[in-house]
Amino acid sequence: MNNKKRRIIGFWGYPSLDLINKYKSIYPNHEWIDLDIDYGCPKLGILPDAYCKIVKNMIYNAIWLKDRIDIIIAPIGKEKCDSGWFAAKLLKDMGFKVEESIYEQLTRRNKISISTSNLPLRKKFELITADIIEQKHPHYEQSKPEFGFWGVPPNDLSVLELFPDNTHVYGWTRCVEAGVPGDIELEMFVDKDVPTVFYAQAFCAKTQLAKYLADKYNGLYVDIDDMVTNSVKYKIEAFIKLR
Amino acid sequence: MILYVDAGTTWSKVCEFSPCESLFEDKFKKYLKLTKDNRKYYIIPSNLLKNAGFNFTAATGHMSKINLANENNYMNEVIALSKGFLVNNDKKSGLILDLGSRDAKWVKFNNGKFKDLDWNNSCASATGATIEMLLKFYEVSVDELEVTDEKYNITCGIFGLEKIMDDIANGEKANLAISKFLHGIAYNAWSFAKKPKEIYLSGGFCDNKCFTDSLSKYVKVNKLGRFVLLDGLMQEYNNLQLH
Repeated sequence: MNNKKRRIIGFWGYPSLDLINKYKSIYPNHEWIDLDIDYGCPKLGILPDAYCKIVKNMIYNAIWLKDRIDIIIAPIGKEKCDSGWFAAKLLKDMGFKVEESIYEQLTRRNKISISTSNLPLRKKFELITADIIEQKHPHYEQSKPEFGFWGVPPNDLSVLELFPDNTHVYGWTRCVEAGVPGDIELEMFVDKDVPTVFYAQAFCAKTQLAKYLADKYNGLYVDIDDMVTNSVKYKIEAFIKLR
Repeated sequence: MILYVDAGTTWSKVCEFSPCESLFEDKFKKYLKLTKDNRKYYIIPSNLLKNAGFNFTAATGHMSKINLANENNYMNEVIALSKGFLVNNDKKSGLILDLGSRDAKWVKFNNGKFKDLDWNNSCASATGATIEMLLKFYEVSVDELEVTDEKYNITCGIFGLEKIMDDIANGEKANLAISKFLHGIAYNAWSFAKKPKEIYLSGGFCDNKCFTDSLSKYVKVNKLGRFVLLDGLMQEYNNLQLH
């Protein structure tokens, strides 16, 4: 996050391109802040303790940055989750200006290049999420997948550093790169012969998909609540080393 | 002095390579369990070992890094379990389940090739420390436990403990209540390992007849004892042919 005290447009997930362009035009000098990300803001106890950490980030970041936020663009459709819809309602009720976004289109697709590149896995995730607001679509050198990582960007991105560079990205993050965050068919796609870790944020509805796909493709199911623990790291490390 | 340790949360398993008496044996003679060739096997309370000032050649387990002379010689527990299983299993096939003080982990191999794994490290319901505490609290000896057809549903360990307390308060004998709890753990462990037809069992529960008999209601059980991870560790760092 930029430390300058610029005014902010907050968002989560993948807002519609029309809304992104609309608010870039209205607020050309505003900083776009992805409220999904864990910036270490205070835990306010508004949501239950046992709840999705990403949704906690959305609400608590917004409250923490309230004085600087002029608008929150809030995906609430199939490209996000019911919790996004509830969060939008709560934040409106708290006095935020919120514009709800539904971006379930399946036709306007970007070519996938980052997910299948030889960049470090963490870098892949950072580029894909940064691309939501500032779409660049450069071509990256491609790799043959040795491992796969399926899922949303984890709250603790350090878990991605456990994987070799020729790990391909699947699941919702791949959908984001393709510009179709609500495409359930693409979200469920994996290369079936590639050993894959199926990750979901604890208490997220996507644990349903992750567990099912891990069983179906003989992968490793992992859910993490907040920060990754040593035991989870060792489990992933063993999965990679024993293959 | 060459010392290998599988340092668990409550108990540490140590193998000492020494043809004669040593400082280590002097200090921990009462915990010596087995002598084989030049190897001495100990099971020692981890809190005693932690403060004893010995440096270890190689280590695995939750608490091992504290006493390691060279921290590069630390091995992930799942990998140690895997290697130890392959050392102890001529067919190099099957599922090894390790039940420890506070976690359960299993790995499956087919002809020496890794197939699947899981590691439950968050819930205390399926662990030995809980049983040790219950036995101490109710002053019940392991020999007093007996297999029961009834089992407590202990998907949540806290609810399981509550059930024990309720039943004992209502007149149930403590040894029978703990036995039902153990039966519940055995059923959970089998379910956690995806309900195989045969299990190779590692860890302290191998010495608990009530547990192994309860588990045998569901699956063929082969007990490998408490030194499987040590075998894997020593095989890696000393290329030992142990069996």
